[in-house]
Amino acid sequence: MTRFRRQLLIGSFLLSLVSVLAVMVHCRFNRVLPNYAYLTGWVLFAAITLLAVYNARKRIPFLPLGSSEAWMQIHVYAGFFTVVLFLIHLNFHIPTGWFEGTLAWLYVLVTVSGIAGLILSRVLPRRLSTRGGEVIYEKIPAIRNDLRQQAEALVLGAETRSPVIAELYARRLSMFFAGPKNFWRHLLESRQPLNAVIVELEELRRYLNDQERAVLEKLAELVRRKDGLDYHHALQTALKLWLFMHVPLTYSLMIFSLLHIVLVYAFSGGAR
Amino acid sequence: MTDADVDRLLDIPPFSNMSPEKFPRRTPLREILCHDTSIRRYRKGEIIVRQGDYGTSAFLILSGATRVVLKPDLPLSLLGRQAPVKKGIFRTLAQFWSARRPPESFQRAQLRQDASVGARQNENEEVRVFLQDLPRVLDKHRTEEMTGGDVFGEIAALSRMPRTSTIFAASDSAELLEIRWQGLRDLMRFDNQLRQHIDRIYRARALASYLRATPMFRHLTKEQLDQVAEQIEFATYGDYDWSGEYKRLAQAGTVRPEKEPVIVQEGDYPNGVVLLRAGFARVSRKFGSGERTLNYIGAGQFFGFDEIAHNWRQPQQPVNVQYSLRAIGYTHLLIVPTRVMEQLVLPTLPAKELPPPVSLATDEPDARAAEKSNENARDRVGGDVLEFLTENRFFNGTAAMVIDLDRCTRCDDCVRACASTHDNNPRFLRHGPSSGRLMIANACMHCADPVCMIGCPTGAIHRESFAGQVVINPVTCIGCKACSNHCPYDAIRMVDIRDERGEFMVGEDLKPISKATKCDLCVENHGGPACERACPHGALTRMNLNDLEALAHWMKR
Repeated sequence: MTRFRRQLLIGSFLLSLVSVLAVMVHCRFNRVLPNYAYLTGWVLFAAITLLAVYNARKRIPFLPLGSSEAWMQIHVYAGFFTVVLFLIHLNFHIPTGWFEGTLAWLYVLVTVSGIAGLILSRVLPRRLSTRGGEVIYEKIPAIRNDLRQQAEALVLGAETRSPVIAELYARRLSMFFAGPKNFWRHLLESRQPLNAVIVELEELRRYLNDQERAVLEKLAELVRRKDGLDYHHALQTALKLWLFMHVPLTYSLMIFSLLHIVLVYAFSGGAR
Repeated sequence: MTDADVDRLLDIPPFSNMSPEKFPRRTPLREILCHDTSIRRYRKGEIIVRQGDYGTSAFLILSGATRVVLKPDLPLSLLGRQAPVKKGIFRTLAQFWSARRPPESFQRAQLRQDASVGARQNENEEVRVFLQDLPRVLDKHRTEEMTGGDVFGEIAALSRMPRTSTIFAASDSAELLEIRWQGLRDLMRFDNQLRQHIDRIYRARALASYLRATPMFRHLTKEQLDQVAEQIEFATYGDYDWSGEYKRLAQAGTVRPEKEPVIVQEGDYPNGVVLLRAGFARVSRKFGSGERTLNYIGAGQFFGFDEIAHNWRQPQQPVNVQYSLRAIGYTHLLIVPTRVMEQLVLPTLPAKELPPPVSLATDEPDARAAEKSNENARDRVGGDVLEFLTENRFFNGTAAMVIDLDRCTRCDDCVRACASTHDNNPRFLRHGPSSGRLMIANACMHCADPVCMIGCPTGAIHRESFAGQVVINPVTCIGCKACSNHCPYDAIRMVDIRDERGEFMVGEDLKPISKATKCDLCVENHGGPACERACPHGALTRMNLNDLEALAHWMKR
């Protein structure tokens, strides 16, 4: 069994065990312990704080605080466990007030964005490495610009001056080379946009002489490379973008949670 | 070298004792002396060779005196190096605010050198480091004088091992003949006396301790070991300056095993066990009209043992060499003749240390390999990856940055961690050659054969300890680019440094001061390389790529 699989099995087993235990404890002490909601609230807040601390750990890599991989594992499983704690804290009811509702929605959004990020982190890298053509994200605009210049040089080059190719470029390809394209299609692994352009190029062959066909071949190759670049851009953007939702939402959740604690202590007068 | 210089050399030993007629017409003695040697003059106190440095040449003292430092060794600061110091708690915590400084910024005081050494340029604009307080050095360290006719540096030059001692000029205008490795090799090839002389020195100084540390010989008595040492043959293959050649070939895309020098040819009679003393060699087998790489071996590993052991145990069913061995870059070998193996070594080995009999060649190139751990690892790693590692010479890396692209989310946490740990200047690029899901990022690999360490005039680039990390001392780095030009993997970058206000520092010539920077494996930090620790998905590791077992294990994790 591989290490990753072993981690998954052990982690899932422990998570299930602790979750079942937590629910059993809840059923046993829910109506027995005084200030029970305070207790579950503080445990939930502590767990969410632990999850948020991971971001701080990332910012101080020079301190020997253990590997980020270990922190990530704890973050993921503790994150799933907070779902159980969250439901226990709500006593398996939907909150009613607008403040509690907002707080609950924030929690749901943070959790969902986290799970989405986890899935993207496990699925997209494999797709990127399978497609090949590895590229640094920050260099994509420069490479795209280079491809565009190559394509324009081909179309305007003295070799052809073909009005057919020039018309196609102006009508169809200039926009294609101008910026990132087909974000969602690439994310959904659709080859349709590329195929559409290639088919259009193929259909032009009948109007071209040999020299122009050679130019068309080179243009088709540039289109494929640009499509590959767009693919990397789309997937790498997705891999970065989810964190821009997950982290700010977490900060909002922390602020709302603190406010919630203050309000509870200020106004509850002994909630159970 | 002028004609007069060569005439002068031909009148003094050992060249006056050589017979020019023994040299072939295409490489006459005179030509060797003219092209592969140069006369160098040193002033009193100037360091000629530095302990721990890698060098490509030997020296013959023509006139004047030099001294070799025996005990104790010179302090690191006199050799241009820094003592490795882990950051204490305060320096570690200080990174909270110091990390916000401009990249690669220094306080002037941080760049102050040890006052006991100085540097100056000679008439050829070569930088020479000299000991300021020579009487003090002579007083504190036991040294021995070497004078006209003495030769030093030949073992390090031939075997590509670090220099074992520091030698400095002990008189003004000491005159030395520097003999490049190629020249020394040719002189030894065509002059028996010189070869025997250097072989004798090699056997006396370097061989005995090496053989004692080789497991194959551990059951031999001292007398038997002496006999083995006496009969061992030495050989070198390939090009000492392989890095430049490799860069050129890699850019042209023509690195092919068929073009590498053959050490042992598949199908030949096994003449002896080949021990790799330095460098690397490729184990391959004919496949179609090319060669398929099956493995690569580095220093300390051997080749041909299985066949010789098989023939010794089953003389009625002898086998020839099953694979070819080719030099990759530069390879220095020791060859233990078959006769010596059969008479002295094999009889002393317990049965369990002998390899299983060789199963004769089949279409499947590694039919017998499955029984061996490393060859199993080879299978698990896969032929494509093995070929990729060999073609790119990545087996040279003892701490290569390997990224699993199937796990890497391209988040750049590794780059940010490196920058936070190294003055806001990330010391690597998260990009590099890849094969399938493996990428070898553009980071210093801390090579087993660190060609970057050849030719540093001040000793700034050095190993942190013997066979340890390769690090650069910014205090003594003069920004000459020798190391970055030599590095075949482009892992060393020149960076213009700044002062504490963020302004670029300039030298006396008003040009920006550059320093060589590279990954130092976070040698000063606790917890190991920050890049590895920062990866949330376990996609990045620092690994010795000469250990296929570790790579196979990591790939199947």
